[in-house]
Amino acid sequence: MNRKHFISSIVPLGVSISPVSQLIKKAGLKTGELEILSPKIPKYLQPGATIGITCPSGYISVEDIQPAILKLQSWGFASTVGKTIGARDFSFAGDDELRTLDLQQMLDDDGIDAILFARGGYGAVRIIDRLDFTKFIKNPKWLVGFSDATVFHAHLNRNFGIASIHSKMCNSFPEDWTKAEPSQIDSIDSIRKCLVGDQMEYTAIPNENNRTGKAEGILIGGNLSILQNLAGTQSDINTAGKILFVEEVEEYLYNVDRMLWNLNRSGKLEKLQGLILGGFTKLKPDDPGEEFGRTIYEMVTRIVKDCAYPVCFDFPVGHQKNNYALKCGMKHKLSVNLNGCILKETR
Amino acid sequence: MHFKRNTVREQIKNPNIMIIIPPYLKAGDTIGIVCPAGVMPYEKAHTAITVLQEWGFMTKTGSTLNGQYHYFSGTDEERLNDFQKMMDDDSVKAILCARGGYGVGRIIDQINFKNFKTNPKWIVGFSDITILHSHIFSKYRIASMHAPMAAAFNNGEYKNNYVQSLHKSLLGEKMNYSCKSHVFNHSGSVTGRLVGGNLSLLAHLQGTVSEIKTKNKILFIEDVGEYIYNIDRMMRQLKRGGKLDNLAGLIIGGFTQMRDTDIPFGQTVEEVIRDVIHEYDYPVCFNFPVSHEKENYTLKVGLKYKLTVGKTRVELLEKEG
Repeated sequence: MNRKHFISSIVPLGVSISPVSQLIKKAGLKTGELEILSPKIPKYLQPGATIGITCPSGYISVEDIQPAILKLQSWGFASTVGKTIGARDFSFAGDDELRTLDLQQMLDDDGIDAILFARGGYGAVRIIDRLDFTKFIKNPKWLVGFSDATVFHAHLNRNFGIASIHSKMCNSFPEDWTKAEPSQIDSIDSIRKCLVGDQMEYTAIPNENNRTGKAEGILIGGNLSILQNLAGTQSDINTAGKILFVEEVEEYLYNVDRMLWNLNRSGKLEKLQGLILGGFTKLKPDDPGEEFGRTIYEMVTRIVKDCAYPVCFDFPVGHQKNNYALKCGMKHKLSVNLNGCILKETR
Repeated sequence: MHFKRNTVREQIKNPNIMIIIPPYLKAGDTIGIVCPAGVMPYEKAHTAITVLQEWGFMTKTGSTLNGQYHYFSGTDEERLNDFQKMMDDDSVKAILCARGGYGVGRIIDQINFKNFKTNPKWIVGFSDITILHSHIFSKYRIASMHAPMAAAFNNGEYKNNYVQSLHKSLLGEKMNYSCKSHVFNHSGSVTGRLVGGNLSLLAHLQGTVSEIKTKNKILFIEDVGEYIYNIDRMMRQLKRGGKLDNLAGLIIGGFTQMRDTDIPFGQTVEEVIRDVIHEYDYPVCFNFPVSHEKENYTLKVGLKYKLTVGKTRVELLEKEG
């Protein structure tokens, strides 16, 4: 039997952390295998804290991050802008070397208390193996972002059990706040709440496709394509005993189905505590004559039909206005009933 | 050389590595035709069926040919049952998948290989059929044919060397292919078993029981209609998964109908692949005729080939065993 499965099967839900770590020590497991049960929580931010802004992925201009800088200021935080902001190598925010150095410097700089990624795009996976996390592990700080930044959430969770924040990034901060939708403003403010240590709670509207039930476990997840791209690598997530959330944008329905099946085929769905589906937005139209003919709801329901855990659709996470900041790697309670869904951070 | 030493060591360690080669076909044998994934109207497979018969084979068409359930050629159950029936039908000596699309991944875990393992037959196709090639060879060490499918026969194209290579391969002829060298090639000569297929599918299989095993193998990859950045991302997935580290050699097929993002990626697909594999010293060839286009030679997955990448020519010769 796989050792990780062994542990998750002998540890009943809700057991407090210290006896569990003793149990794991007795079982002789390696540190990297502790992540399911003992999340390391970076320090929450105090007023005056400094947030580093860097871009490990796609190009973004200096102008485009100004609304974020102003907002961080209004929250009482200073910001440090990395060299990748405004740098450009075709679609990337500078070449692999620059993006690595910029993030590495921020990981290691004790004067930086959290790192906010400016935007997603593509590029994180090209630098993840070049980063040295030695100093970061000893003194972890919040990494904040989503989409391509799913690479970091997965990598930190899998390798170090360090929590991180899945949320909107600089490119989602509006220039004119009077024109922003309340859910967008609220979503951005949820980043602040996460950073200062508020105990988070989220709600989702009822969906007739939901499967009701209660769950408790470490929250993990992100962009489906990225999770797929990490499969079989050293950043691949372990999902056993956890609450998994996934979201996707600009994909073909058939490919979403394929990725969901692959999650299933790689054993990532069978031992979940709960499953949360966020937005599947701007999906690409089927090719004419090749209509896929089923919804996200039908796809997921079909794949998890033999599992008993709660399933929540249309959760406010994804490439959309209502994309609330979630603490990956932290324990949450999920409750799905006919009135909707509540996800609550537990302490 | 490093990889040669590995090959020898591997053989010493596992002297009894056995590959199961399904019996080759002879005139009068029956080829089953199924659609385990996307829709294929009968008209579009008509030429292929006629030509297979002209080649002297009997054909048996499954219920999924000409079938349709939304995007698929049938429900998961129908596609599974049709494929299973052909697998278990002892009168069927080879199964030609009429087309790819998407769908094998939804039924692969329900296929029962029990009879197939003792009575193997050639599974023929590419694209989505990569899942079958990878699964069958990784789990059962049974060879299969990565080859043109029904549509490749249409418009008189059945006469071309690529479709003809399927005919010869089915009859058991040892196949030798060659193509022009590419400026990005890494020269060298190596012998190894061939594995591979569509890059997207190989990436998607990573972390599943069907994933490809590449150690000491000659890996071939091809893809169609993908974004260049996504080719980069998938190549890095293979690399991060250790799939490129210990190859005997690498064959890059056609990466055709590539798409780019609004902000250009800034590299051609060949440059992308060149950069991902730059540190490896095994032989590599680009633009080998295996692809979603006409240029698509039949390759026997699991069989031994000698790959020679020279200054002007690339040769791929099928070896014994």
